[in-house]
Amino acid sequence: MQSWIPPPELRETTAPPHHIRILITVAATALLCLLSTLRLLTGPLGALPLQDPTREIARHADERFADMRRALPKRGVVGYIGDSGQTSLADYYSAQYALAPLLVERSINHSLVIGNFPASQPPMPALADKNLCLVRDFQNGLFLFAKKDNN
Amino acid sequence: MHVVAAVLLCCASGLALVCAGWPRQLPLESDLLLKVSLAPCGFGLFSIIFFLCLPLSFSSLILAEIALLGLLVASLFWARSRRATVATAKVRRGKTAGWVHTGLLGSFGVSVIASLYSAVARMKANPHGLGWDAFAIWNLHARFLYRGGPDWKDGFTPLIQWSHPDYPLLLPAGVAHFWKYGGNDSPLVPGIVALIFTFSTVGLVFSSLSTLRGRSQGFLGGMVLMGTPFFAEQGSSQYADVPLGFFFLATIVLLCLQDDPARRGSGLMAMAGVTAGFAAWTKNEGLLFLSVIVLAHLVMFVRRGMNSRKQSLWPMLTGILPLLVIIGYFKLRVAATGEMFSDGNAILHKLLTASRYWETARWFGKELFLFGHWWLVPGTVMLAGYYFLVGKKARGVSESGVRSSTIALGFTLAGYFAIYIITPYDLHWHLRYSLNRLFLQLWPSAIFLFFMLVRTPEQALGNG
Repeated sequence: MQSWIPPPELRETTAPPHHIRILITVAATALLCLLSTLRLLTGPLGALPLQDPTREIARHADERFADMRRALPKRGVVGYIGDSGQTSLADYYSAQYALAPLLVERSINHSLVIGNFPASQPPMPALADKNLCLVRDFQNGLFLFAKKDNN
Repeated sequence: MHVVAAVLLCCASGLALVCAGWPRQLPLESDLLLKVSLAPCGFGLFSIIFFLCLPLSFSSLILAEIALLGLLVASLFWARSRRATVATAKVRRGKTAGWVHTGLLGSFGVSVIASLYSAVARMKANPHGLGWDAFAIWNLHARFLYRGGPDWKDGFTPLIQWSHPDYPLLLPAGVAHFWKYGGNDSPLVPGIVALIFTFSTVGLVFSSLSTLRGRSQGFLGGMVLMGTPFFAEQGSSQYADVPLGFFFLATIVLLCLQDDPARRGSGLMAMAGVTAGFAAWTKNEGLLFLSVIVLAHLVMFVRRGMNSRKQSLWPMLTGILPLLVIIGYFKLRVAATGEMFSDGNAILHKLLTASRYWETARWFGKELFLFGHWWLVPGTVMLAGYYFLVGKKARGVSESGVRSSTIALGFTLAGYFAIYIITPYDLHWHLRYSLNRLFLQLWPSAIFLFFMLVRTPEQALGNG
């Protein structure tokens, strides 16, 4: 009995093995990319964990330092002293960010010194020992000190 | 109203610069998406003009911008008037098999919408950016430039060394320029600038691959980039790594376009020089890239014989030179010295410490597999699998752009490795907090070169 030979148009519908391999590869790559992209929609809105100090500090810096900025000279250099906790660096950076173009140096060797104590009270006796006297309490953890010998 | 005018002026300057450099034998409307994707070059121009006009008044700044735009438009029409008599070159486009094209188009569309949505949501949730560098370096520098008036240099003194006063000013000066127009330092500006660079990078990967290798390749390249979660995260962080990656990619794309006989011309090489210069004006890593891209080109120049390459080397240097002068002025006359190369003896000691090489190599190896925060399969592993299964395309007649760019990218990576060896910071800390961002800078260019080298789905299906 003669075997059945499919006509050419039917033969072309069966893809050669390498075609299937290529198609699966392209489809899998597209799918992996798509899934990875769509996952962004379900993930947290940012790479930083919510408790990261930088997230909220940068956002509120301008608001928090607004009164102090008005009380300070527009240019020049002021000193800085602040909390010594985990957020101390972020607190300092946010002070510089909010008060620019005034330079804020992390040192008390200046005629005006900013006190940034959002989580504690400033150590007044220790500051007095360093000849710093309180000029103004901004009521939000921010203080302005001046060197006694420069008054 | 002023901000709208600034945006229009910035886009128009960018487009005019790109069109002026485009091969004049092609119609002005050709490669439109590619040209639009390169338009953030206008932001680079904006930052340069702002920096140069810092001692001048606001009205002088506007006049300088209008004059520059006029100059660019005039040079565009001058180049067009000298249009070569050669018939309009045929733009090479890969034909796509219908349903592969449709499937990829659909996936690409979904990716774009999802990426846009998540990027805007991130920007709204983090108006001051994500992480330290956004507000402690880039936006702080922008504030010094905008608020500082005649004392703007105060922000670049060693008193606040932690803010890296030696970092170049493309991003801060560009942002400050828009603030100047708006009359306030709204955090919206750096946020939108970050989004523009992110999506221009996606647009550039897609449009350049579509132009050079066909639409399917463009869709795949764009999807791999958008599918890299770390790219999306950093895209809205307001750091300078994504803009730097954009200028790396722009330089490499322009060099590779030069390989296409229909697009060959000195204008593209000059543009590549300008974008490499903008990279150096964005971050210090850009200076390394600029050096290696010139070096890689010089090697090709010497290997192929002076005559064959002289038409492309000089225009590139012409594009780079003005930017190098500005960067040199900033580095030598304004910025405090960086910490990286400050102690020669310490550098020598570190170069001779074998354990530093081992630790850095370990981190590089680990990052190669984990880079991008991919879900399920790491992006680099996925691309390696794709290469293995789809295969490399047949070697073309002229691929000097692809080859020199691949070499340049490799040497840039080697340069990053060397920087870690001599870093003045704690090595573990430095690697932990910056290596993934250095990889990200190279990632868009690596994706572009990868899809330039592998076969398109149509080629693979046609040739087996």
